[in-house]
Amino acid sequence: MKMLTGIIAALSLSMFIMMQTCLVLAAESGTGATSQPGDLSAFLQGIGKKASNFKTLKTEFTQEKKMVMFKEKLIIKGRIFLEKPNRIAWHVDSPVRYSVLITDKLIRQWDEDTNKVQEVSLAKNPIFQNVLSQLTVWFSGEYGSLLDTNDVRVVKRDPLVIEFIPRDNNVSKKVIKSITITFRDDQNYLQQLRILEMSGDVTTINFIHTILNTPLNSKNFEVKGRV
Amino acid sequence: MSDNRFLLFNNFIHLHKKWVIGIVLLVTAAASAGLFFARYEGNIDLMLPPDKEITRSMDFLRDSSLSDKVVVSLALTDPGKTKKELFVAVDSLAASLSPPLFTKVIAGFSVANVMEEFSILQYAPQVLGAQDLAAIDSQINAETVSRKMRGIFLQSLRPESIFMSSLSRSDPLGIKMLLLGKMRALPASMGYDVAIEDGHFISRDGRHAMLIIQTPVPMMDGLRSKELIAALQERLKGLPEFVSADIICGHLHTVSNEQVIKRDIKVASIIASISFLVLFLLVFRDARVLFVFIIPLIAVVWAIIMASVIEGKLSYMVIGFGTAIAGISIDYGLLVYIAMKRGADSAQIVKLAKLVTIDASTTMFSFIVLYFSLIRGYHQLALFSILCVIICLILSLFVLPLTLSWKHYRLVSDPTIGDRLRSFRWPVKTSVAIWALLTSVALVLSFSVKFDSDVKKLDGSGPEVLRAERTFHDVWGGKDSQAIFVVTGKSLEDAMEKNDSVFREAIRVVGSGDFTSLALFWPSEKLRRENSEQWDRFWKQGREKKLKALIRDTSAASRFSEQAFAPFFDGLYAHRVDTTSTTGLIAQLQERFVLNKNGEYRILSYFPDEKKYIDALTAITQRYPGTFIVSGKALSASISAFTVKEVRILAPLAVLFNLVLAWLFFRNWKETFLALVPLITGVVWLVGIMSLFNIPLNVVNIVAAIISTGVIVDYGLGITYEYRYNLGIGTVIAVTLSAATNVIGCGALLFAKHPALYSTGVAMVISMVTGYLSSVIVIPSLCSIMETTKMGAKNV
Repeated sequence: MKMLTGIIAALSLSMFIMMQTCLVLAAESGTGATSQPGDLSAFLQGIGKKASNFKTLKTEFTQEKKMVMFKEKLIIKGRIFLEKPNRIAWHVDSPVRYSVLITDKLIRQWDEDTNKVQEVSLAKNPIFQNVLSQLTVWFSGEYGSLLDTNDVRVVKRDPLVIEFIPRDNNVSKKVIKSITITFRDDQNYLQQLRILEMSGDVTTINFIHTILNTPLNSKNFEVKGRV
Repeated sequence: MSDNRFLLFNNFIHLHKKWVIGIVLLVTAAASAGLFFARYEGNIDLMLPPDKEITRSMDFLRDSSLSDKVVVSLALTDPGKTKKELFVAVDSLAASLSPPLFTKVIAGFSVANVMEEFSILQYAPQVLGAQDLAAIDSQINAETVSRKMRGIFLQSLRPESIFMSSLSRSDPLGIKMLLLGKMRALPASMGYDVAIEDGHFISRDGRHAMLIIQTPVPMMDGLRSKELIAALQERLKGLPEFVSADIICGHLHTVSNEQVIKRDIKVASIIASISFLVLFLLVFRDARVLFVFIIPLIAVVWAIIMASVIEGKLSYMVIGFGTAIAGISIDYGLLVYIAMKRGADSAQIVKLAKLVTIDASTTMFSFIVLYFSLIRGYHQLALFSILCVIICLILSLFVLPLTLSWKHYRLVSDPTIGDRLRSFRWPVKTSVAIWALLTSVALVLSFSVKFDSDVKKLDGSGPEVLRAERTFHDVWGGKDSQAIFVVTGKSLEDAMEKNDSVFREAIRVVGSGDFTSLALFWPSEKLRRENSEQWDRFWKQGREKKLKALIRDTSAASRFSEQAFAPFFDGLYAHRVDTTSTTGLIAQLQERFVLNKNGEYRILSYFPDEKKYIDALTAITQRYPGTFIVSGKALSASISAFTVKEVRILAPLAVLFNLVLAWLFFRNWKETFLALVPLITGVVWLVGIMSLFNIPLNVVNIVAAIISTGVIVDYGLGITYEYRYNLGIGTVIAVTLSAATNVIGCGALLFAKHPALYSTGVAMVISMVTGYLSSVIVIPSLCSIMETTKMGAKNV
């Protein structure tokens, strides 16, 4: 009987996740005939190792969203603070001030509309748990594991551009057409992340002034009164 | 058998001594070999009452296949390893599990597949009822729509917008929250905490994965369960070092119970054997006393084979009583041995045979009483024990004497053996007064004894099984037990329609949060069709236009496009009432809520297994034919009620049988009463002592107590007979040694790990010790007080 309850719990929770996780990632299709590494897995492991070789990260970002839902492009500017393994602060400065802190235990968020801080346990919020796991993969540079669920292609060598196309066994397959990441010249971190959705929506995140292994303080992870 | 016939037969046996012994040895060898071929079973079902409610619940659980699933909880033991590595191990394990033992393995499921099947605009019209539509209606106003639009805009600024913005287009009002409200009730009420990641079940701490395995092996099938567990454990050896696994399933309980019982039998047999040997050799200093010890063992072996032939399969629980039966049955041989040691003449031997036969008869009748019970396991126990007693009686009376005296190795007689014990006198009045006082106290205490009807407490699974379950519950939750409301129907739709009606009534009495039903998120086709029509009417009654206008007016500030919510409006009437696909989410859920047995559909709803809910929902079952409740607690209550009912019949019957047999033996009420003193003492003190130490009675120790009555009454018969007739055949020492052997036989069960055997040991030891003490202290004193005439073959 208890086994049954476990399954039901799992199924219903997954429905909960599913209903809120239409992954929208977009990327530019690669053109040209860039030579592919002989051992893609080793190549990705190598790149991933290099790009994930940091404990902390501080970066500004500009997120450009071209969405069917809006008449115009949505430009979002802000900053990201990341501390491995599981602490990310996402601060939006414009068009509306908004902050969210996601840790392995909780989510704390604030926006200027309500001017209230909300705190939710991560254990009770599978959406954010999923978000955290997705963000962790893309922002932390651990790309080696993506080979199982994506077809991977090197689009360009200089700067290095890699395209990921979800396979059938990928949860994102139904909504994501491709994800393209562009590395900085030193290949130590991302310069751009572009997500192309099946619906045609495109999200492009450019990382500016990225500093790796910089000391971060508690204020960087505060969600209220930080701007 | 008349005295003369007995003596004639006895002479005949002596004349054919070698033949008789040869036949006994041959049969014993054959029976011993047969032990390896006899079929045994280890389930507790045999001990459960055949009450209609109980049988239906047990049948339901057996047929439901709910119990024939195996769950494996896999944990990462190395902090340096990741979930990915755990999933790889899980997938590899899942791939290694194949038929025939493992028919289906579920490691999770692909959310991608679910997404394809599931759409808010396909699902909501079918499941949202009038109350839900009223909630939507309350949102179609300028203020709420404006707030929703702002919310969607703000959401697009957040990191999760990468994952969620598309969804908003087909759900501007957040109808999904109404659906989620229904879905959320599922895990919440079930008490499990499971997430899905990469198509795998994962615990909240992210360090455990779960594998659900379906098997055709029934939980109660001990032999195949063993095979199943062994095969699974073999596969688990292939897991990487950083992954540990716990198996959770009923099969493990079956296997573990069997192992524990076998171990207990072995330990009890060894303890009892050594104790018997030491005791006998110390008292008699004669190696031939070993034959007294061997006779019950031979009887047990013969009885196992004979009972197996009659019953087909013999329960381990019944065989577990073997040492106790052996302890009881050794008395006959002991009486014969002591009488022979004292050099009893033929007249005394006849008297001895009478006493031994009446002793065996009282014991047999205490088992015959069990035939008046409706519990099949008791019948099996009675059959096994009666066979054991009869064999032991025959071997003791006719075969044992043949083994005691040989041509070159004659039995050295000792006419004074036991005389010191016989002549010892306790202070008459004091001992009777103390006995009367203590018995009165025990009687008072006995009224407050508790009865524990929880049969789960008789589960003897080993600590490793229980530890694994504790760990499982710590990780995955689900400690609170659930009861099941079952609705049956001739067709799925018939059952689902009835289930819808039951659900409506059930939530009125227990609340929707506590009653998890398929009707909550997937009602019958009839109701889904009605809901769909209602949904269409709802939007066509101007609400679609109104919402469009409100969105247009309020979304301008956030610069939403004209097409922003086209997916919602375009799909508003596109839904269809469908039969669920066989692979989709609803089908997967339905598989867990719907059972099909021989063409009959059963729909299960779950609720907390608490009395208040059971009482409230039982009233509903009475209004809906074909519905019933399966509850662990109700099951326990039924077992309790049934046992109480049976005890009310069996206990007086046991006393009556003993009373009649004692009277038939003495033909005198005074002596009959004297002979029953140990019986009364044993029963009253047992219940009183259990009450004093807060040890509850249960289905097992009650039976043990009833059986004990047949044994302790022998002490009373023997001692009364000794003092009444001055037998001079060493009855006092025989009774003392009998009690010692009985207590050793039953006391060996105190070392048992299986709670049922341990509980038996406790009950039998208490009643036998108290019964014996009263027989050697109180009966002689009462004899003196009542100036019982002493007559006998010879003076002591």
